[in-house]
Amino acid sequence: MSIPDFVIQTAYELEESEGYQRKKKAVYDLLENPHSRIRPYFDVFMMLMVISSVFVLLFSVKHHLGAWADWFENTVLVFFILEYLGRLWVYDDVHKIVLEEYEKSELINERFRLSKVFRAVMRSKWRYISSPMAIIDLLAIVPSYRALRILRLFLLFRLFKVFRYAQSMQQFGSILREKRVELITLLGFLTFVLLVASSAIYMFESPQAGGHVEGFFESIYWALVTISTVGYGDITPHTIEGRLVTMVLIVSGLGVISFFTSIIVSAFQEKMGEVRDRRVAMLLEKERGYTVVCGFGRVGQVVAEYLARDKLPFVVIECDEEAVQLARREGYLVVQGKAERIGLLRTLGVGRSAGKVLCLTGDDVINVFVTLSARQLDENVEIISRANHHQTLKKLMLAGANHALEPFKIVGLIAGEYVGQPVAFEAIHDIVMGENDITLESIKVPAGSWMDGKTIGELLLEDMRLILFGVITSPDRRSDHVRSHFDLESLRFQFNPGADFVLLGDDMLLVFGHKYSVLHIRQKLKAKRA
Amino acid sequence: MRKSPKKVVVVGSGPVGMEVARQLTERGESVKMVDDINADVEEARTRGFAVEQINLQDDDALKRVGIGGGVDILFALLDNDASNVFLLISARAIAPDLLIVSISGVRDTIVRLYAAGATKVIDPYRISGYKVYEHMNRSLIAETMDRTVFGRVDLDIAEIHIQEDSYIHGKYLDELSLNERYNLIVLGVVDREYGDNLIFATDPRRHKLDGGDILVVIGPEEAFAQFEHDLHAGLDIPGDEDA
Repeated sequence: MSIPDFVIQTAYELEESEGYQRKKKAVYDLLENPHSRIRPYFDVFMMLMVISSVFVLLFSVKHHLGAWADWFENTVLVFFILEYLGRLWVYDDVHKIVLEEYEKSELINERFRLSKVFRAVMRSKWRYISSPMAIIDLLAIVPSYRALRILRLFLLFRLFKVFRYAQSMQQFGSILREKRVELITLLGFLTFVLLVASSAIYMFESPQAGGHVEGFFESIYWALVTISTVGYGDITPHTIEGRLVTMVLIVSGLGVISFFTSIIVSAFQEKMGEVRDRRVAMLLEKERGYTVVCGFGRVGQVVAEYLARDKLPFVVIECDEEAVQLARREGYLVVQGKAERIGLLRTLGVGRSAGKVLCLTGDDVINVFVTLSARQLDENVEIISRANHHQTLKKLMLAGANHALEPFKIVGLIAGEYVGQPVAFEAIHDIVMGENDITLESIKVPAGSWMDGKTIGELLLEDMRLILFGVITSPDRRSDHVRSHFDLESLRFQFNPGADFVLLGDDMLLVFGHKYSVLHIRQKLKAKRA
Repeated sequence: MRKSPKKVVVVGSGPVGMEVARQLTERGESVKMVDDINADVEEARTRGFAVEQINLQDDDALKRVGIGGGVDILFALLDNDASNVFLLISARAIAPDLLIVSISGVRDTIVRLYAAGATKVIDPYRISGYKVYEHMNRSLIAETMDRTVFGRVDLDIAEIHIQEDSYIHGKYLDELSLNERYNLIVLGVVDREYGDNLIFATDPRRHKLDGGDILVVIGPEEAFAQFEHDLHAGLDIPGDEDA
């Protein structure tokens, strides 16, 4: 078998090997995957390692540490090298490049050449090796091989590795990166001014001309100290010409400083929202099954209030500035943006850890669109959407909502009730709103509890001041004691079952009553079971 | 049970206004929809609602649509709380005895709307929000309610006015056992002995039913029909007198 054949075969084997893919995925999760669970622990571990190794280095400047310091240094080094190689490994798939090249050459009927593949692989890997983070990683490793003093300094580069593990640091880096055009312009200007000023001062302040500047390095040092408005004063101009140069330099220094400050400030201001959003996303990472509330209008506000009351985790998406401010004042997690953006939904964990999505905007078009997007991201997420017009109801269900609510229909119903039957209106309103402490509550009959197998009459609900509305049972239960039943999605609601109706485990009683009565019967159920 | 249709004026053509107008029309009431001159009513019109545009700040215009003359109930369903308050005060000035139902946008306005003369204030956003919340956390109850009471199907909540001459006059509520006999569940009662407020049936007191009292009952339509029929037939129920 020739070498190219062997390479291709190996590549195919790797492509098919499940164990290999699994291993690679595990390493990827550990090192790179921002959503993996283990990654934060790894990051903290590595950060501790970096800091402690630098600490040992600093300590060893004045103290003698003995053999264990070398041993520790070597351990750290092994970790760093393994990490570097691991990242290099998961950066891309060599076997995929090989196969791609091979298939390409097959397609255009050309001979498969190993050298070409090798170049492609190297190009791809080089892209990783030459990235700033990889260089920092390398610099953290390399100096350990040499006993050279100046290279020892490079060990401090390890501190830069902390960047890798701390997200906020990375944000700082990305902000600077975004402003690189401005910063490079500034750097060009700065270099130019520094060159002119230091050459001038070198000429005017040379010892021959009566000054104190000994060499060109000193003049550059002086120019930088002056332009930054630090002004140590260890080197000062003595000639008229030198002082003129100084004055010009100081004025341009003010310009440079303010320019630099304004770039950084504006970059941060532009990024402030994003930084905040990312913080929200980070807080959400820890939660499971939280609710994403799209729309913080008046309905959204009420829902958020109830969720907050029950201490259920949720995050709000809203694009209106004023509403966002309001949510922030209430202390809710909020992201400003359009819920229609599928990227935003994904960032907030729809498709991963979000359990419910509520589409509550006042615009049916948006509600349908968001419902559809959320359903595409996650097949299992529970979506509840608001239909402002009754025609939208069906569309929302088609778009993939689990429940589509027509909130104003209930309002209309209640209002309509008022016209004909003002007293019944009162009852409906209270029941719908759960106000006046009278609520409709469900009580589950645990299998094997004292309720299991009893008839309704034996429960003596009247004595507990509870009114039985009905019992929810499995859909196939029939009974002579029920005169009207209604089929729910997967269960059956037996309205007003007679006193002889026999309860079974997992049935659910729906009762009207004061919340304390309900609490009392629930307690009783628990106590008897224990 | 159907009485002559009531004359209703619905002010406001937003989603709430449309929904209320739709449902009242379905119930056979005589509904007139009105909105402000400046308001954007195109949406409602394209959806088939006949909206009359009048100047809501003009008392004569309000009188022209029947406020103070013939209208039974006014629904003030404008989107803006301030406009609602203004409308309420104008309407109350014209017709002191008019029934006025209004909606509030923010919770704090409820008090002000009552002060401005509303007979009843509904908070549509709170109701909607609670409904959503109920669907999330008590989905079985929400589903049951939606399929029974709020759905098209059978279960109705209705009030039954007790006449002096009906057979239940003078009976105690608990001896009627309406749930056994008619498949009707009593939710509450307005017992004039204890005032004009609705008392929920969970109340421990025994209620003697007299003429003028009102029962709020939930049950299937045919059960209501049966009960109404028996009430008017003056049927006497044996065996319960000495209970």
